[in-house]
Amino acid sequence: MSAEVEETLKRIQTHKGVIGTIVVNAEGNTTLITSTKVDYAGLLHQLTMKARSTVRDLDPQNDLTFLRIRSKKHEIMVAPDKEYLLIVIQNPSE
Amino acid sequence: MSTTRAKPKKPTLKVTPSSRVMNVSTSGVLRVNHSSTYARSINASVSRKSFSLAADSKILDKSSVQTPKHTVQVFDENGKDVTPQPLYQPDPAAVMSKHSKIFASDTSGGTMSDFYSTAYQTTTNASFAGPFTRSVFGSSTVSRGSQSTMESMNEEIEDPSSKRDISISLSDVQVRREEVKELIKEEMLDDVVDRYLIESETLWLLHMPAVSVSVDSEEAESVKERNNLYMELCKNRMGNDKYVERSMQTFNGAPKTKDVQSEAITMVDAATTATTWDMYDSFRSAGLGEAALSPDTDKASVPEIVSNHRLDPTRAPERTMSVISTTSIASASSSRIEMEPFVVPSEDEPDPELVLQSEKFQQDLFVMERIILENIYQPKLAAYRQLPTLEDPDSVPKVVPTVVSRREESSLDEESTLTPALERLWSFSCELTSGHNVSSMAWNKRNPDLLAVGYGQFDFKDQKSGLICCWSLKNPTWPERVFTCESGVTTLDFSASNASQLAVGMHDGSIATYNVESREKTPVIDSSDCAHKHTSPVWQVRWIDHERGASGEDKGETLISVSADGRISKWFLRKGLDCIDKEKKSEALISRQAPGLCFDFHPTDSNIYLAGTEEGHIHKCSCSYNEQFLETYIAHKGPLYRITWSPFCSDVFLSCSSDWTIQLWRQDLFTPVLGFTSTQSAVYDVMWSPKWATVFGAVNEGRVEIWDLGASILDPTIVSLASPGVKLTSLLFATETDCILVGDSDGQVCVYQLKNLTVGEGTQVAALEDIIGSTLASQL
Repeated sequence: MSAEVEETLKRIQTHKGVIGTIVVNAEGNTTLITSTKVDYAGLLHQLTMKARSTVRDLDPQNDLTFLRIRSKKHEIMVAPDKEYLLIVIQNPSE
Repeated sequence: MSTTRAKPKKPTLKVTPSSRVMNVSTSGVLRVNHSSTYARSINASVSRKSFSLAADSKILDKSSVQTPKHTVQVFDENGKDVTPQPLYQPDPAAVMSKHSKIFASDTSGGTMSDFYSTAYQTTTNASFAGPFTRSVFGSSTVSRGSQSTMESMNEEIEDPSSKRDISISLSDVQVRREEVKELIKEEMLDDVVDRYLIESETLWLLHMPAVSVSVDSEEAESVKERNNLYMELCKNRMGNDKYVERSMQTFNGAPKTKDVQSEAITMVDAATTATTWDMYDSFRSAGLGEAALSPDTDKASVPEIVSNHRLDPTRAPERTMSVISTTSIASASSSRIEMEPFVVPSEDEPDPELVLQSEKFQQDLFVMERIILENIYQPKLAAYRQLPTLEDPDSVPKVVPTVVSRREESSLDEESTLTPALERLWSFSCELTSGHNVSSMAWNKRNPDLLAVGYGQFDFKDQKSGLICCWSLKNPTWPERVFTCESGVTTLDFSASNASQLAVGMHDGSIATYNVESREKTPVIDSSDCAHKHTSPVWQVRWIDHERGASGEDKGETLISVSADGRISKWFLRKGLDCIDKEKKSEALISRQAPGLCFDFHPTDSNIYLAGTEEGHIHKCSCSYNEQFLETYIAHKGPLYRITWSPFCSDVFLSCSSDWTIQLWRQDLFTPVLGFTSTQSAVYDVMWSPKWATVFGAVNEGRVEIWDLGASILDPTIVSLASPGVKLTSLLFATETDCILVGDSDGQVCVYQLKNLTVGEGTQVAALEDIIGSTLASQL
């Protein structure tokens, strides 16, 4: 991993309120980086697929760039790509 | 009488009489086809007995033919002759023999009738027999007719087998018929029995049409001879050893059960959703070429690669799921690692390392970080941008301990709503910058969210390497760009025409320009090689836009710098950075070789500029005059740190110096209009507010002051103290909002919001002029 990527990743993990950072591969079955035990990978993968399908169904030239789910306790942010999913869970009100 | 069964089904007889022998003799005479065919069909075997019988009967034929009396006749109880007519016409010879045989052996006659009946029933054939039989049906005269036909059948050549057949069957039939008949007579004499005789259909089992040859033909002889031969053979057959009756039994093999088990047929359900984007993608990729698709289909057939196979990213889930189910491959992760040598060029599962190193991943991380920070800093950023801050609906509300304190707070709030204050929003700092002294700050001209901060020591001692950080408002925790320089940075400025160009002046006298868009860490241009470079620290650089230059080529933006070696130089790009001295301070006039500390060009007239020196003099100069100053303003007693024209009133400018004062000048007056002092510390920086003409900010060592001349000309309106041990060194107003940035000696750039500063409406230009006017008036 390049130094810059590592640095950025480390910084993200140390930001205020960040609970976990996960990078999963495209099928949602292998996590490349994970800092939290809870299994968000498989579930979020399916949701991302569905969201992307929705966006593209409305306009096939469009594509999903970012997905944010705000819940009572956390905010889950997903940056999808065709090769991986970058997931960060943050508790912003901490 | 006749049997009950209209159609006797006896095994031997069962097959319905079939073939009509029909002797083709076209005599037109009614022929009764007796059971010759009937019998023939049933018994194919030739029996000697029957043959002999037949033979015998043949002899008898002629004699017995004439006796119509022996004709079988059926009479019902009423005495009616219901003799059924024969259904077919046998060959004359055959018929004759049959008849004779019948007559000879038959006593009851019932057989014949039965035969007839059966014959009738079974005859429906539309062939030869057809017309004959129908016409024959039901007439008693037929029997006579049959006899006559029999007589006429002389020359027919018939298949001898028929005779035999019939005789045998006849004998069988006879026996049964008799038995049945006796029973009836004894028991049911008085019963009225209805008999229905129905003609059944004819089933041909074997039809061997007779071939007749006329006597006159050529073949007649040979045929006759052949027939004779055959008859000889039949005669000899009796005691001949060549002909033996023999029966055979077919072996029935022992049955054996055998089981075969086939491999389980696995059924797989495959499903896919055809969505709009799916179709769109297929069309697009099909349009792009076969090459993209064919390796995919090839790969699909290769089982090993299948598990990691990704045909189309958007459809991947369904495809890979179905593919995995049809092939049994080891788990994805382990096989992926082994897959490396089998990599097929396009569209393979990328190495996880590659994924993490890819550009896209970096980009995503970058965006993600910003989003996270936005979550954290949202209220502050909203305040900065003067948006209403949203309260997090799920955040735990802070508990207020007692009611009393709340009231106190509210009262305080009320007060604070009235007094103008600086509210600290956030600060740009990270571990890179800690310990460095902020020397200058500049906003990017095109992107108002981008801030360049230069770090460097002012004093000649404690010189560390300099640092330039480009900060974005969206990420207060980490700078977007970091450039390290050899010597401390003393000044920097963004170019207006080329927004990504940043000019930096350094403590060692060199000037460099950086391109902040690229990620390179080195300056684009450096002045170290220039012959005329400054030999002393460059205290200020500025990009100045000349509307009309002295010579034709000076149009556009040029870089002007002032340095402690007493020169104000104009730099332009040649092969390196080269400069022309704009101003040489000659020894002649007032100034000696006074080192310049700051300058500022007139906002509207780019030919005129002010320069401040270490001695405290302000010189007004012109670009066209290189030798002399136009004016000199003397008031300060110490080195001038900043001169700045008012952005609203074009002939008013401010100056601040280390003599604890800030002076407000009007360019036509050689004494300052107003002077401001608040504390006894050197004022490092002063800046007009971009929004109000009467407001300016100043930074001295220990505090930030915001002066509102409309409110008070003696005291600053807002004062904010610095943290102990930290000196505040620079000040910058934010252009669009009511915020100021204050840099300190610890490397922090704090963002403050001006709260409750009620200046009044408009830019207050008139107010400023009023103030100046009134001050002047009062002085006079």
